[in-house]
Amino acid sequence: MEAPQYVAARVQQALAEDGRTNELGIRVDVRGDQLFLRGQVSEAGQRDRLGLVAHEAAPELHLHNEITIVGDVFDQGEDEHLD
Amino acid sequence: MSTLTDLRIAAVGDIHLGEDARGRYRRRLEGIEQRADVLLVAGDLTRHGTLEEGRVVADELRDLPVPVVTVLGNHDYHSDLQFEIASELRDAGVIVLDDDGVVLEIGESKLGVVGGKGFGGGYAGKCASEFGEREIKNFVSHTRFIAEAWKVALKEIVADHRVVLSHYSPIKETLEGEPPEIYPFLGSYLLAEAVDTVGADLILHGHAHRGTEKGITPGGIRVRNVALPVLGKPYAVYCMDGAC
Ligand SMILES: [Fe+2]
Ligand SMILES: [Fe+2]
Repeated sequence: MEAPQYVAARVQQALAEDGRTNELGIRVDVRGDQLFLRGQVSEAGQRDRLGLVAHEAAPELHLHNEITIVGDVFDQGEDEHLD
Repeated sequence: MSTLTDLRIAAVGDIHLGEDARGRYRRRLEGIEQRADVLLVAGDLTRHGTLEEGRVVADELRDLPVPVVTVLGNHDYHSDLQFEIASELRDAGVIVLDDDGVVLEIGESKLGVVGGKGFGGGYAGKCASEFGEREIKNFVSHTRFIAEAWKVALKEIVADHRVVLSHYSPIKETLEGEPPEIYPFLGSYLLAEAVDTVGADLILHGHAHRGTEKGITPGGIRVRNVALPVLGKPYAVYCMDGAC
């Protein structure tokens, strides 16, 4: 059986190198037969593609796509004063 | 703006627009002219660096009510179309820096922006050096070449404020949150050293999506990681000389 670290590395490479995603900043963890994706992307389509590519790279694992969407908020928050 | 040299700088990086962002990204910048005088974009404009994506970025940034200055990121180089993407952006009125600088007149104040993509290599004491295989030497000398070009460009700029715009990070503090093993691929201290030598008011970068917004160079220059996932809002605004 392939060690979980190698499976996670293979999934991470797929997310980075697959033309549908090319996403480098996703954390991939394998625990038993569970595959966890964590990180932040700017839109839901990319989150779904990441889930798909991860599933294709490790179809035997149960996928938990916990990636969050950021940058869609219109609340600007506070400006920073540099002086 | 309240005094002659006041300036409000909006900044964001890693917007990673795919073709599905066409017509959708721009609304995030609505009203930016009320909040800022200029928008600086710190690279990784596209996902895969295709020309189609480059055109989406150009259209989304076209004719904004504030001037837009950008650099490219590693994703924008992925399809070997970086020059074509840059010229699409320039045709849309966006200033694209490639290891050079520009001076913008904003009200009565002059803002100098110097920069480019930057590159990796790591941080002092834990970095690659120009030794051994040709591939390693090429890697390190690429960063050295860039740092030297920024130094030259910074020296030439005459302005009230000087800001450096990069994709890769000049310091490791703003990488906090990223795994330390990949720091050498996220930036290089040579970039900070070059800017510290000449001086600047602010360095902006992206690339480290899991990093931290605020840091400072060994020479005391403020550094901000403006990667969109780090900011969690469409752009940050930095105010100089009591503006805002
Ligand atoms: Fe990025
Ligand atoms: Fe990047």
